[in-house]
Amino acid sequence: MRRDNAGAAVNARDDGLRKVTRLTWRAGAAGLVCSALIAAAFGHGGTSSHATTSTPARQGQRTILIPAQPPAAVPGAGQVNSGAS
Amino acid sequence: MTAVTAVAVAQDTFGVFGTTATLLVTEASALPAARRLADAELAAVDLACSRFRADSELSALNAADGATIGISELFAELLGEALRAARLTDGAVDPTCGRALAELGYDRDFGLLEPARAVTPGPASPAAASAVPGWRSVRLDTGPPRASLAGGAQLDLGATAKARAADRCAEAIAGQLGCGVLVSLGGDIAVAGPAPAGGWRIRVTDDHAAGPDAAGQTVAITSGGLATSSTTVRAWSQDGRRMHHIVDPATGQPARSCWRTVSVAAGNCTDANTASTAAIVRGAAAVAWLEDLSLPARLVRADGSVEVTAGWPDGPGPAPPASAPGT
Repeated sequence: MRRDNAGAAVNARDDGLRKVTRLTWRAGAAGLVCSALIAAAFGHGGTSSHATTSTPARQGQRTILIPAQPPAAVPGAGQVNSGAS
Repeated sequence: MTAVTAVAVAQDTFGVFGTTATLLVTEASALPAARRLADAELAAVDLACSRFRADSELSALNAADGATIGISELFAELLGEALRAARLTDGAVDPTCGRALAELGYDRDFGLLEPARAVTPGPASPAAASAVPGWRSVRLDTGPPRASLAGGAQLDLGATAKARAADRCAEAIAGQLGCGVLVSLGGDIAVAGPAPAGGWRIRVTDDHAAGPDAAGQTVAITSGGLATSSTTVRAWSQDGRRMHHIVDPATGQPARSCWRTVSVAAGNCTDANTASTAAIVRGAAAVAWLEDLSLPARLVRADGSVEVTAGWPDGPGPAPPASAPGT
């Protein structure tokens, strides 16, 4: 009788663990789906966009690139002019 | 960072896109090949996005009446750069200004327009703003490349395509020939490869075609790009009103800016020109904007007084006022 109770308890425990495992996997899968939906909604993972650049190296650049160093003042004339055209 | 070497420089000057191109290389023997590479790049860019060529891809897209059409990788890149510029400037630089420019009279090659006579732009027409539907009306798909325009949008990539062409030329020449190179397309300047000793010396002034002693400041750069935007050139007359080519997307009219000329140094020429054009449109608020972005810039007011940002070197005193803007 005592052995029957112990077996039932083990079965109940195993059943509970299986349920927890299933829930864990479902929660993980739901998280992945939500992540994909959010990424698609905000356009960072799609192939079309209103503001997509076609050069992959520049796609990630979210600001205007600053120069490696600012211009230096030099005396005299230039080799070339920068002015409007 | 680009290495700096002491070498001689060879130069070639030629006409392109209705303006002047200058090509400087650090190895004289590389000049003919550099010119061939530049010619090929410039021809391809012109065929992709000229507003004045009926056979360009841009003209085909403008004429597609909202339909989606297939485009080349190059045109997709140029259009993508224009949309990136719009996004990074909160729409101050907008590629859908094509209809506004045409309605302002800039509907043919610039050399065919009546030169500007009046001093300031006239009042805006009430319907002008609707001529710029906004960059979000452009749809660009990249795989495979195709595009469409909504809301009657008409493209003009003048604010970014010439600068991007300069970057492409410089990258191709330095990459394939291994020399240092400076490419100037109407004053939009890109450099790549090893710079000459002391850097590339550039005179910043109102008009790129002015002489070597034009009012302004001489600076040196060793990498990246430098561009200047101004309301004093590429101006024309329509119905007695003075027009210029920098359109404020909010009004559809030539920008009425406190700056007559803005020069910006950036990581490449495309970004430099994006910032200099946006600064003209933003007006007084441009100084804080450029400082926030850490972009070195030189801004010249209509009276010739100068303001600099983010490490741009102090230069000579105020530039003389532009005596006859746009003429």
